[in-house]
Amino acid sequence: MKSLKVLVVDDEGVICEACNLVLAEKGHTVDYCKTGKTGLIAIERGKYDVILLDMKLPDIDGMEILETVRAEIPAPRVIVMTGYSTMSNAVQAMKLGAADYLAKPFTDDELIEAVEKTCPEQ
Amino acid sequence: MTSSTKFESYFHVLRDVIRAMHSITNLQEVLNIVVTKTTGALDAKGALLRILNEETNQFEVRAACGLGERYLTKGPVTTETVLSTLAELDKVYIITDIWNAPRVEYPQATWDEGVRMMVDMPLGIDKPMGLIRIYFTEQREFSDDELDFIKTVAMHCACVIERVQVMESQQSKFSHLVAHVDKLSSLGRMAAGIAHEINNPLAGILLYSSNLSKKVPSGGLLEEGLKIIVKETQRCKTIIQGLLEFARDREPQRALVNINDIMESALGIVENEFHLRHVRVRKQLDKIIEKVYLDENQIEQVFINILLNALQAVENKGVVTVQTVVDLEHKKIHIEISDNGCGIAPDHMKKLFEPFFSTKANGTGLGLAVSYGIVENHQGDIRVFSKPGKGTRFIIDFPFLVENSIGKGRP
Repeated sequence: MKSLKVLVVDDEGVICEACNLVLAEKGHTVDYCKTGKTGLIAIERGKYDVILLDMKLPDIDGMEILETVRAEIPAPRVIVMTGYSTMSNAVQAMKLGAADYLAKPFTDDELIEAVEKTCPEQ
Repeated sequence: MTSSTKFESYFHVLRDVIRAMHSITNLQEVLNIVVTKTTGALDAKGALLRILNEETNQFEVRAACGLGERYLTKGPVTTETVLSTLAELDKVYIITDIWNAPRVEYPQATWDEGVRMMVDMPLGIDKPMGLIRIYFTEQREFSDDELDFIKTVAMHCACVIERVQVMESQQSKFSHLVAHVDKLSSLGRMAAGIAHEINNPLAGILLYSSNLSKKVPSGGLLEEGLKIIVKETQRCKTIIQGLLEFARDREPQRALVNINDIMESALGIVENEFHLRHVRVRKQLDKIIEKVYLDENQIEQVFINILLNALQAVENKGVVTVQTVVDLEHKKIHIEISDNGCGIAPDHMKKLFEPFFSTKANGTGLGLAVSYGIVENHQGDIRVFSKPGKGTRFIIDFPFLVENSIGKGRP
């Protein structure tokens, strides 16, 4: 698996750090932002392969960020994370262009699988 | 009085009672009119109206006229003496011997009041609910017309009392129900809020523990402990998912379905468990089945939850009865799941549909809470009747819904 550039946008510091730990061990590079605003800035600047996006952020709605990301060229793959693990949420996120969906809480294996599956080796 | 003026006077009393009856905002008003008008029409000294309080089993004074304070404060009349001679509801009792009549509880006080004769007219439709007692200062004869008049007033009065009592009991049932629904829906909202807040810290716990469990020496205490943390965290996740379902976070995916098919499918899933415990299932499924818009999976889940509860309630060799009925008149489908098991303790009945309420050692207390949410989401109605030692009966009603009356999505 080639090294991926991953951005985690979640207001929970523990989740950001945990994702960093798990993915870095697999050789991926991880940045993280704790607000929607800083997340949008990071998305504009860095060329990320994958964005792990929490749907409930204190400042900007996750869906709004998802729409902005879709406008990026090339558009990074987005994996939506949410505590409301319901089907309707997942379906809505997928309709808006998310590549995958992680229901909190998830294990390290589930995280790695979701990230690597989203970016198959070309 | 001549007979024609008497007739007029009776007619006016009846007219006033009936008029008061139809403007039935206040029972007291009707009762007051009954005692004053009856006293006037019969040239009596006064009248007293008592209504049976079923809780205390005493006849309580609800209206009176023409009687002194001292007599009225004599206290309540117990049912034993009155009820024993109250069996015939349409019979007027004329009491001429105040001192020796068994129906008179306070003869001295009655005599001191100047009363020499009394007439008792029971109030009631099927069972005694009260009594009108009319007091006279001297002995006299009663014509058939007068007795008929007393009976007619009593009959109308009983109708009013019964109607008001039914209304009051419906009102109290309804407000009780509203409070119950309110409580459950606020619990649901709270649950959804808590679920989100808890899933975040759980995400941290699960990521770290699952990651660390791979780094510690295998077979050791550390690995075992971390694996337990992983497993228990995932259990929390399952519980929270159940809670979110209860919180109506899942929109029903409705389609036209046959309720019998869903029941058969639910029975198929629990069949093995029933077989192992030698519990018999009796099916009474309506043949003329009307298809309804329901979420097949959710309704199946409700049936399974109730069936498993029934299985738990019955001893080996119990019987669980499932019934579906199409009620074309009320445009609804009626489902009953009943058992002849241990029943539900009265103080558990109120909490039955609350999340986390469970009497089972390993129960999550979410089965019926989730079922309640699902049925409510389908504009349905779920009720339970139970007698300890006799069994429990769950009743679910779903209205026939046409496709365009169902909201496509949530606002």
